[in-house]
Amino acid sequence: METSASTSASVTERRGIPAAAFVEDVQIYLSQTGLDVNSALAFLQERLQQYRVVEMKLLAQQRDLQAKIPDIEKCLDVVATLQAKKGTGEALIADFEISEGIYSRARIEDTDSVCLWLGANVMLEYSREEATALLQKNLENAKASLEVLVADLQFLRDQVTITQVTIARVYNWDVHQRRLQQAVATASES
Amino acid sequence: MQQSGASGSEMEVTWEDQQNINKFGRLNNRLHELEDEIKIAKETNENFEDASNELILTDEEIVRFQIGEVFAHVPKDEVENRIEQMKEVTEKNLEKLIEEKESILSQMAELKKILYGKFKDSINLEED
Repeated sequence: METSASTSASVTERRGIPAAAFVEDVQIYLSQTGLDVNSALAFLQERLQQYRVVEMKLLAQQRDLQAKIPDIEKCLDVVATLQAKKGTGEALIADFEISEGIYSRARIEDTDSVCLWLGANVMLEYSREEATALLQKNLENAKASLEVLVADLQFLRDQVTITQVTIARVYNWDVHQRRLQQAVATASES
Repeated sequence: MQQSGASGSEMEVTWEDQQNINKFGRLNNRLHELEDEIKIAKETNENFEDASNELILTDEEIVRFQIGEVFAHVPKDEVENRIEQMKEVTEKNLEKLIEEKESILSQMAELKKILYGKFKDSINLEED
């Protein structure tokens, strides 16, 4: 589990996701950007929306990868089983699904090559070793991509949190200001 | 988890506070993921239990064992071994997940203390 203390005050963006600027002081922030409270709140809300959109996209990618990884592991399993059978000289008998609920029996003779489905209606024949190597590489790539994706999501969620806190603080500052003005107004009246 | 402000109090939030809030959020997310993963691991373990029980009851010598998308005809002993192995792996994984969950829970309790200490009512760190 990552425990890095992020120094993301210096990170301005990550892979196309803009970082949320941390606001030290609301008053200074408002005067710097030259926005009044409502415009600032609108801007921050819009930023939040954009972050949400990106989050949806990343979550979908994450789901895809998480489904792909067990698939690759299953293929590796099958190739490994064929490898194990090689020594015994027996044929492997397997039942496979040809249609929903309908199975057929197959007799898989000892063989040195397997065919791998590469997608896009392409299937290639490989030797068992090559197949294992290819599947292994695909598995590692998928796992690495997943790691990067998870880090992206964490970064994104941090920016969302920062933006939410900033919105709350700007809003509170505004309410506080109004209260002060109220107090001044009533004091000068009395 | 919300961070809702109280009515109009001027609360100062330092970068360190923000980082603590971010960390709490991240831990909370990871906690939910972990709870799902733990549930799945427990179910998988139960399935293995059921499978080995069925194996003991059956008197067939060849069992159809699912490898990938096909069911290979495998002798009963080999299936028993395989299931044992898979059970061990899942149990170890489950232990690791539970450990991680405890660690996260204690970290979150720490952060709650710190954040409630500073912000008191201005912050809400409970599950809605």
